[in-house]
Amino acid sequence: MEQNIIETDILIIGGGTAGCLAAVEVRERFPNLSVTIMEKAHIDRSGCLAGGMNAINAYLNPGETPESFVKYVRFDSCGLIREDLVLSMSKLFEYCVKKVEKWGLPILCDEKGNYIPRGRWNIKINGESLKPIIAKAAKNAGTKVLNWVVATNYLVVDGKVGGAVGVSIRNGNLFIVKAKATIIATGGAAGIYKPNNAHDAQHKTWYCPYNTGAGFAMGIRAGAEMTSFEMRYIGLRVKDTIAPTGTIALGVGAPQINSKGEKFMATKYAHIGGDGAPTPYRSHGPIQEIKEGRGPVYLDTRHITSQQARDLKSAFLDMYPSMVLYWAANEIDPSKEPVEVQTTEPYIVGGHTQSGYWIDVNRKTTLDGLYAAGDVSGGAPYKFVSGCWAEGVIAAMNAGEYAQKNEFMEIPADIIEEEQNRVFAPLLSFTNKKDGIRPYDMEVRLQKIMEEYAGGAATFYEVSEERLHVAKRRLSTLPDQFKHLIAEELHELMKAHEVIDRVYVAQTLVEHMLYRKETRWPGYCTRTDYTERDDEQWLKFVNSRRDVVTGNIEVFTRPYEQIVPGDRYKPR
Amino acid sequence: MPVVVHADKCNTCHGSHNPPCVRMCPGDLLMKDPKTGKILMRDPAECWDCLPCVKVCPQEAIEFRLSYQLGFHTARLLPHIHDTRDFITWELIDTEGAIDNFTIRTKVLPVELDEKIEGVAAVDFSI
Repeated sequence: MEQNIIETDILIIGGGTAGCLAAVEVRERFPNLSVTIMEKAHIDRSGCLAGGMNAINAYLNPGETPESFVKYVRFDSCGLIREDLVLSMSKLFEYCVKKVEKWGLPILCDEKGNYIPRGRWNIKINGESLKPIIAKAAKNAGTKVLNWVVATNYLVVDGKVGGAVGVSIRNGNLFIVKAKATIIATGGAAGIYKPNNAHDAQHKTWYCPYNTGAGFAMGIRAGAEMTSFEMRYIGLRVKDTIAPTGTIALGVGAPQINSKGEKFMATKYAHIGGDGAPTPYRSHGPIQEIKEGRGPVYLDTRHITSQQARDLKSAFLDMYPSMVLYWAANEIDPSKEPVEVQTTEPYIVGGHTQSGYWIDVNRKTTLDGLYAAGDVSGGAPYKFVSGCWAEGVIAAMNAGEYAQKNEFMEIPADIIEEEQNRVFAPLLSFTNKKDGIRPYDMEVRLQKIMEEYAGGAATFYEVSEERLHVAKRRLSTLPDQFKHLIAEELHELMKAHEVIDRVYVAQTLVEHMLYRKETRWPGYCTRTDYTERDDEQWLKFVNSRRDVVTGNIEVFTRPYEQIVPGDRYKPR
Repeated sequence: MPVVVHADKCNTCHGSHNPPCVRMCPGDLLMKDPKTGKILMRDPAECWDCLPCVKVCPQEAIEFRLSYQLGFHTARLLPHIHDTRDFITWELIDTEGAIDNFTIRTKVLPVELDEKIEGVAAVDFSI
C-alpha cells in the first residue's frame, strides 16, 4: 500500500449526473482552476444513469415557469420544500438540457423541431448513452479522473473541508486529495432496507445499488447538518423488475386499479388529484389496497394499441431493458393485461424526495469549503436528472469562487494516519486470519433491523415510537462491531465501507423518523401514532447534526419559508 | 444469473489490461480470469441488470439473463449496436423462440479496447 497525494483546486466526489456537469462548469467558468473527479467506478457508466434514461423529467414545457414548477413540486411534496432551492434549479433546466443536447444527447422533436412534451415537466429522449455522453464532456473539459477510488472521509480541520481521502480498489493505494473547495455528488443510499427480491436478484432495485450513502455518511461523520431523512422515497414500480412506472402511467395514461378492477386512486383520493395525487399518495394508495386485501394492484394498460405497447417497450429499452425481457419471459402483453405494480424498498435520496445535506442557495453545506449537488443534497425534491445537472452547475459556480479566494489547508499527519488505519482495518483483520463478520452479513443484519422495526415493506412502511426505539437500540450496537469486519480483497473492502456508511445513514434516518411527530408523507413515512398531517406544529424541516466528539445525534428544526404565493396543497 | 459471459466468444479484447466490459460495470463486478484472461462475473447477486457491459462488448460475448425467479427460460434480449453507432437494434426472443426487433436511435461513443488507470501502474491491474 502506498499513498498518492494529489493537489487539485476543486475536488468533485462522485462522477455521476451532478458531478460531470459540475466539472464542465468549473472548467468553463474558471479555466485557471484544476478539477479532479474521484469516482468509485468508471465515470463512463457509473451511478444512476448507467443503464440510460428515456426522459428528462424536470423541464419547463411551453407555458410553464419556475414559479409554476415550484407550486407543483410543493404540492407533490405535501406542502414542504425549500422553495429557494427549487426555484434556483428550475431556472437552469433549459441551460443544462441545451448543453447536454449539444454534447450529442438525442432529444425527440416534432416536425417543427420542438421537444415533445410528456406531461407538464417531461420531454422524451433517446438516452441509452446519456452517461457516456456527459462523461466525455467532463473529460474533454480537462478534468482529471480518478476511477475506482472509493471516497471514505473528508479531510477536515476546524470544521473546514480541505479535500478527501479515498482508497483505490485497483491497487489498494490510499488517495489523499487536497482541494481548495470540494463538491460532494455521490448520490443517495440504497440497501438500507431489505431489497424487494432475494438471491441472485437482490440488486434488482430501482435505485442504483452501488449508491450506498457514502456522501451522507462522510457528512454525518464530519458533523455536517442533514435534513429530511424521514422523507424516505418509496416508489411505485413494476412488480418484480422494479422498473419505473412513469413511462407507463405518463406514457400511455394508465390508471391504478385493484384486484376488483376499482380505480381506487380516482375514487378514494379524488380530493387530492386521483391518479395525479402527490407522489407519496400514489404509493400510499396501493399499499393500503394490498394491506386491506384488495391486491394485487395494477396499472391498467388494457386500452392501449399494440403499436403503443411496442412504443412502451422501446421506451423501456432506452432506460430499463430488463422490463422488456421480463414481459417476453412471462408471456405478458401489456396491451392485453394490466401491469402489476408494487412499492420499493425505502431509499434515501435528495433527487426524488429531499433527504440530504442542508445547503444554502449556493449549494454550500454547513461545512466551509464543502458544496453539495444532486441526490446527496437535501431540500429540493423533483430534481431527477436535469435538477441534478442544475445543482452541479450552481455548486460549481460557487465552489469556483471559493477556491479562487482560499488556499490549500495544512492537513495534520495524524488525521491521515487515523483514516488509513480505519480504511484498511478489514483487510488487515482478514490477513491476520481473525474470525470476523463479512460485509454481506452485516448488510443483511442492518437490513433486517430496518425492515422489521423502522418501517420496511413487510410492515407496510409504518413506523411508531416504540418500534423505532427498538431499531435505534439495535443499530447502536453496530458501530462497535465495525472492528470485526473482514475483507478478503479490495472489492470486499469497498463493500465493508459501503455497509459502514449505510449504518451511519440508518442511525440518522431513525432519529429523523422519531422526531417528526406527524404523518406528512403517507406511504413514505406513515406514523401509526401520529396519523395526521399537522401544519401548526410541523410545517418545518427536521434537521440533524452528529457531534464529532461524542457521536450523539442532535435533532432540531429549521423554519419553512414560502416564497411563491398560493395554496401549498394545489398543483397550480 | 443476470449476466452470462460466453467464454467461447470472449477474445480478451486482444489481451487488454483494462477491457471495456470491466470499465463499464458500475458495480466492479467483471474481472479478468487470472488464468485465461477471459472475463468472469465476480458475484451474480450484485448485478443491477443495467447492461452497459453487454452493450459495449465488441464480441457480443456477454449476455443478459433474467434471474430465473423473475422469468422463464429461454427468453433472450440481445442488443446489437449498428456500425454507424447511431442506432441500436434489440433482438427480443420469447420463450417460444419468436423474434421481435426494436431499432432505436442513440449515440454510442467509440470505446478503446484498453485504458490506463490514473494513479495506478499497469502492473497492478494486468495479469
